[in-house]
Amino acid sequence: MASLTVRKNVDALTTPELQALRVAYKNAQQIMDNRGYNYYAGLHGIPNWYCWHHERTSGSTVNANLFLPWHRAYLLHFEKAIRDQRPPNSKVGLPWWDWTSGTSRVTFVPHAFSVATVDGQPNPLFRARIVAPTANPPINRMTRRFPGNPAVLPTQATVTTLLGLTQFNDFSNQLEDVHDNIHGWTGGNNGSVGGDMSSVGTAAWDPIFWSHHCMIDRLWYLWQIRHGVNNIPPNLLPMVLQPFTLTVRDVLSINALGYEYAVSLVRI
Amino acid sequence: MATKAKATAKKSTKSATRGDDRTYRASKVYKSKKVSLANLPAQFSRADLEFIRVDHSGASYEARVFINNPNADGNTPTVEANGYAGSFSIFGHGGCFGDVGHCDVHKEQDEFDPRPSHPLLPIRKVVIATSAIKNAAAKNPDITVTVVPVLMGWTEKSDLEDVLKFDHINLVTYD
Repeated sequence: MASLTVRKNVDALTTPELQALRVAYKNAQQIMDNRGYNYYAGLHGIPNWYCWHHERTSGSTVNANLFLPWHRAYLLHFEKAIRDQRPPNSKVGLPWWDWTSGTSRVTFVPHAFSVATVDGQPNPLFRARIVAPTANPPINRMTRRFPGNPAVLPTQATVTTLLGLTQFNDFSNQLEDVHDNIHGWTGGNNGSVGGDMSSVGTAAWDPIFWSHHCMIDRLWYLWQIRHGVNNIPPNLLPMVLQPFTLTVRDVLSINALGYEYAVSLVRI
Repeated sequence: MATKAKATAKKSTKSATRGDDRTYRASKVYKSKKVSLANLPAQFSRADLEFIRVDHSGASYEARVFINNPNADGNTPTVEANGYAGSFSIFGHGGCFGDVGHCDVHKEQDEFDPRPSHPLLPIRKVVIATSAIKNAAAKNPDITVTVVPVLMGWTEKSDLEDVLKFDHINLVTYD
């Protein structure tokens, strides 16, 4: 029987777990077909633009707020793809980046993502190559990131307020706004150009994108514990989360999707 | 002396364009006319400033909202004493990276069209501004709203001079 994939705080990964994650990302980044990192990153913005942000309309369903379920489905598929590339006998799950932590308020980006090399080799969690030949103009370069002042990151008080909101659309919109802010400041700018996390088109190529969204997904999970796993406008339930075959109903329970969030732990 | 002043000005410009913690680069600021709060209910548990039909096609920015502070800019501390009410953020598309017409928003889409609406349809942003509105209402019958867009990130295709575009603002209160 398959066990649940456990998603942990990136700062709580053991050395072997972090190493396995790097190997998985590195292997995935070397694959250019539909199993690889470049393919999955390209589903979000450039060139396929499947990402769902804010309230949009689809068919007869108006003002559908699919930001959270769409990204849950997206992360699930990406996690499966990188798990396929993990070292034998290793455990790999998408780690989440707790941007409210004391560490983040000092370093901004977690150490796992901010070191350029590990043991003399390029760190696949630091940056990745964007290969988007059909973009206008075509893009073929490494990702770039210029994080701002860590003081801009949200605090635990912000999260507490978010988790206290009782209506799904209100919670989703407010959480998405926090998400937008972190995208902007994590990508940042160097005065001349912005970092990739700050633009929808290229954000998903930055390896920290996945852990940022893992935190977003985790907060939805924590909200569901408080307010009900099925607490979502019922007219959204049958909507398909393109290009995946999952519907909104399919992604409400993370256990049913095969993963779980570990309780955060204190490293002693 | 003239040389020193020139150097200082140049330094200010350089630091003004860096996204660090000392100086933030702001785009064109929005300043409302005076708005009357005469019809505001005496009691409310929450007050939202809703920004309607906000453009998100360009640069990413944080829109800082100030009540009764028309001189607020990118360096104004975001504290209640300055009338800071909260902010919303725009995760921008960075400009158009498709072919001609890619970023043109479809105006009509019938109910049998299974495709989602255009991703660049303008959006609604909500700033929960309860404390700021209550404080302002206690002191003045009229308020002004100033919105300072502080640039976070952009691409070579982004306009940076006038990023903040929206249709109007609603002040909504809840029991």
